[in-house]
Amino acid sequence: MREETRREAVWQFLTYAFIILGAVVTLVPLYWIFVASTLKESEFLSSTDPTLVPGDSFLSNFAALRARDNVQFVGHVGEMTHYIDLGPIYIAYDFWNLWNMGAIESSIFVAGVYTILSLLLCSMAGFAFAKYEFRFKQPIFYAILATLILPIQLLVIPLFLLMSQIGLTNSYWAIILPWLANPLGIFLMRQNMRSIPDALLESARMDGATEFQLYYKIALPTMKSSLAALSIILFLFQWNLFLFPLVILDQGKYTIPVAINQLVGAQRVYYDQIMVAATLSIIPIFVLFLFLQKQFVSGILAGSVKE
Amino acid sequence: MLNTSLRMTNNDRRSVGRRTVLKGAGIAGLAGLAGLAGCVGTGDPAPETTESGGGSTESSGGSTTTSAGPAMADEIEVWGWDVAARAMDLIDDPYEEANGGDVSINQIGRADLKDRFKSRLLSGTGAPAASMMESVDAASWVDTGGLRDISGWLEESGIKGDFVEGKWGPLENDEGTYALPWDIGPVVTFYRRSVMEENDIDVSSVETWDQYIEEGKKLPDDQYLLNLPSNDYDGLWRMMLRQIGGQPFTANGAVNVASDKSLQVARILKEIRDSGIANDLASWSSGWFTAFGDGTTASLTAGAWMEGTLKAELGDTSGDWGVFKPPAVESGGSRATNWGGSNLTIPAQVSDEVARRAWDYMAYTLGTEESQLTMYREYGLFPALETTYESDAFDQPNEFLGGQEAGRIYAEIAPEIAPYRYTVDTPEVTQAINSHFRDMMAGDKTPKEAVDAAAQQVADRTDRDLA
Amino acid sequence: MATRDSLSGSDPSVRDRLRFARQSVGERLPTPGEGIVGYVFLLPAFLLFGIFLAFPIVYTFYLSFFRFEGVGDETLLWIDTGFFSYRLTSIADLSFVGLSNYTRMFSDTLFHQAMFNTTFILVVQVPLMVALALLFAVALDASFVKLRGVFRTVLALPVSANLVAYSTVFLLMMQDAGLINYVLTSVGLPAIPWLTSSFWSRMTIVGAVTWRWTGYNMIILLAGLQNVPKQLYEAAEIDGANRIEKFWYVTIPQLRPVLLFVFVTSTIGTFKLFSEPVIINGGGAPLDSTITIVQYIYQTAFIDFRLGYASALTYVLIAIVSVFSAIQLNIGGESDA
Repeated sequence: MREETRREAVWQFLTYAFIILGAVVTLVPLYWIFVASTLKESEFLSSTDPTLVPGDSFLSNFAALRARDNVQFVGHVGEMTHYIDLGPIYIAYDFWNLWNMGAIESSIFVAGVYTILSLLLCSMAGFAFAKYEFRFKQPIFYAILATLILPIQLLVIPLFLLMSQIGLTNSYWAIILPWLANPLGIFLMRQNMRSIPDALLESARMDGATEFQLYYKIALPTMKSSLAALSIILFLFQWNLFLFPLVILDQGKYTIPVAINQLVGAQRVYYDQIMVAATLSIIPIFVLFLFLQKQFVSGILAGSVKE
Repeated sequence: MLNTSLRMTNNDRRSVGRRTVLKGAGIAGLAGLAGLAGCVGTGDPAPETTESGGGSTESSGGSTTTSAGPAMADEIEVWGWDVAARAMDLIDDPYEEANGGDVSINQIGRADLKDRFKSRLLSGTGAPAASMMESVDAASWVDTGGLRDISGWLEESGIKGDFVEGKWGPLENDEGTYALPWDIGPVVTFYRRSVMEENDIDVSSVETWDQYIEEGKKLPDDQYLLNLPSNDYDGLWRMMLRQIGGQPFTANGAVNVASDKSLQVARILKEIRDSGIANDLASWSSGWFTAFGDGTTASLTAGAWMEGTLKAELGDTSGDWGVFKPPAVESGGSRATNWGGSNLTIPAQVSDEVARRAWDYMAYTLGTEESQLTMYREYGLFPALETTYESDAFDQPNEFLGGQEAGRIYAEIAPEIAPYRYTVDTPEVTQAINSHFRDMMAGDKTPKEAVDAAAQQVADRTDRDLA
Repeated sequence: MATRDSLSGSDPSVRDRLRFARQSVGERLPTPGEGIVGYVFLLPAFLLFGIFLAFPIVYTFYLSFFRFEGVGDETLLWIDTGFFSYRLTSIADLSFVGLSNYTRMFSDTLFHQAMFNTTFILVVQVPLMVALALLFAVALDASFVKLRGVFRTVLALPVSANLVAYSTVFLLMMQDAGLINYVLTSVGLPAIPWLTSSFWSRMTIVGAVTWRWTGYNMIILLAGLQNVPKQLYEAAEIDGANRIEKFWYVTIPQLRPVLLFVFVTSTIGTFKLFSEPVIINGGGAPLDSTITIVQYIYQTAFIDFRLGYASALTYVLIAIVSVFSAIQLNIGGESDA
């Protein structure tokens, strides 16, 4: 018995050591981004003696980032020039103009809208694939799944052309609409929705529920945690998009990755400002994680992958 | 369009109604509008109906007015990066005062500008009225057929002869001229005065690279005469090749990378490396700057524009710098060559009105001595406009360069620069030279083998013949 | 596994009641099994898909049989109703070249190099990352581990790091005199040429990608572990299985579909690798040893302007990824994931 307790203790120690080592290795680069954002560039780039102690230059780096004339990272109060004399419509317009969005707000806005719409779309499609029979169901499903392998970097030119033909250049819609029908999302929702008992749907039908009510009154509520899990995946996908936003959005609408790339100059890379921008841009995701991670794990997400 | 309703400017508001209509038409057009055959034409309509240039907000169809006169668009957008964009900002107000119109300068990072401009060029829509274009990229951008031929206006204005001759090559093809030259980068060697003095090196006596290398050996072991970065061999190679009148391609397009002149340059680069006088720090890295700041690397051969960069990055070394003409490859040889330089170009896709405004702006900004000299004074962009070289702006003592009248040296070099044949395959040459010169520096290839291998690689990848 | 079939195991009286109910409601309700309801639910996804992805996909395929000669401005369609005018111009001047864009790949050495690099990175990176993710998931799933939520969040955090920033950090850490070599040399190990040797520069990419995505995959696996029935472990314990045996004979088989999912999505992700090598290795250095396939195609299209060839390469890439995924699905068992 004692032998067993000792082995158990060793085992627990090893497990903890492994997890903690992993956490440290994970945190070092992130911590370094943070530390670098608080140092002068010359301090953290000094190769002879890497510093791991935060300094006091965060605010001055941040000020330098805000002072840049070609990219606005954080928004600022807008100019309210026309708001009273123009009637109610223009009051609304100027209401929005109260705050000029910077890259952080743009990214949060775009990723947020994308996530909500895509959740709706993917869950509807997933519901169809999981709970209905129709002709060509399998081929359609596999066709959608196959788009998972499309390298979207390589579709930039035809997509740009298409967007300009329908008047969506320099519009946030241009970077939201093309991937709303997210194949991964549809796949995961279909897997999850299959676990909804048919009996449940049948009895609701008997109670006179319409098919759409089945979807949003029964299917959606039971899918809460998978929706939460999927929302992280979708949000991150949009959050990290780079090439297409770069090509299609103009200055003033930049998302975070595009904005950060503006700090890579022709003759100089502004590492200090990049680090400040990177530190700030991790915060929204961190909050999202804290907010959703319970559902994310307890979610039926992966359970549903199982078949 | 959510974004427009959220962030419309006052000007945008006017055009919302029209945009909605156009959007509908766009979709219908794509779907193939057979039903509308009555009003569908396939001939070329008046060119005025093409997209209005700067309008990244409007997708297709500008105005329906077809005035073919010399009307100019009121508002245009011009793209540029870093210092160049700021230099254009400087000329913005004087231009608008003199010629009217509203020019907005959009400052975009260099790599991003290229990605964005090229994708808009290739998809035939959404490009700005004018954009900055580096001479290195010019040949391949011209080759896309997406740029506008400005030779008519150029002739009309009579300013073509005012620019340095060597600048035009990559901006032209058989059919026309596609950009107006902006600046050039006459190459000089920047050096740290104090380091040279301490080690008894007299740069004024240096005439050739061989002599310069010899002088460099006077430096202690932990100091280097210059930097030869392994990520940038092609830059030095191109600079020296041009200096001795070499060309990477022959006039009929064969790969000339293995020419005798190229080999001569390769041998010098190899000698620089082997003699131990060269540091190896990646160009533009922070360590690279630091080494110039503390004198670990004593000199830097680069375009005149480097002065602005050094001034910005190493302000506290001001006054301790000097310049001299780059060493010749062989005794009595030319000491003039070029590194870098840009142009302004107009995309073919913008409407005539927009293009006319863009040309007007370009001619004012790049074609007048006053504007060019302003940009030189403020940002050190050395004009490609030869008529400015007589100006006394170049005779001012330069504080950063220890009071030297450096401008005069640049102006002496500029007219001597030999033309150079950039082609669409210049990027292939860059890659091949860098790859094989790395082998050469490591001792895995002789200079002869390296240039031969590079030439072969370029020929293989581009379907060109070897010269 | 509560699917349609699981109903067959439920109480027959429920089934009977249902059948009866259905009959009594009659034709008023669409019967699942036929009908258009499925299509209606699919419609939004389908519309967006059809508008925004079908055109680029088809156009790319079309381009792959042509050579790009320049930007076009020929008018294809011109509408002028008086209220508005609309002109659709041709996108490009193209000349038909048949299959030659496809055949020239056989002699394109840089393409072969890019394929090799990508495959090399893939073969090292995906198994390494999945193994690590699995180990972390199992460790965190152990009942005695405290602060599970904190560790989970920490390990998953890298995926939120901005691409440019994290690549830059790796670039700086991996310098010859950077943080990693500083640590290595201070414990007496030799410094490694992370960015200058062909082999190690690929390993740097492997490290960067693994760092970023391990936590993400760990969370998916962790979620899978929650669904492994506890009774199976209990049964194994009764049979006298130790920890490692339980891992091999219970966890792995139960987790197989999830593992498969992680493998397939990671493989696809690595095939699409683009930005990391561009930033960390400055576009393929040293000596093209890190140029990836997507990066090469991007260069072909955007720097060399060979749109036709780039399109053909895109299709070949898609074909290769499909084959890889199909193989993995086959080895993994159920093809209907």
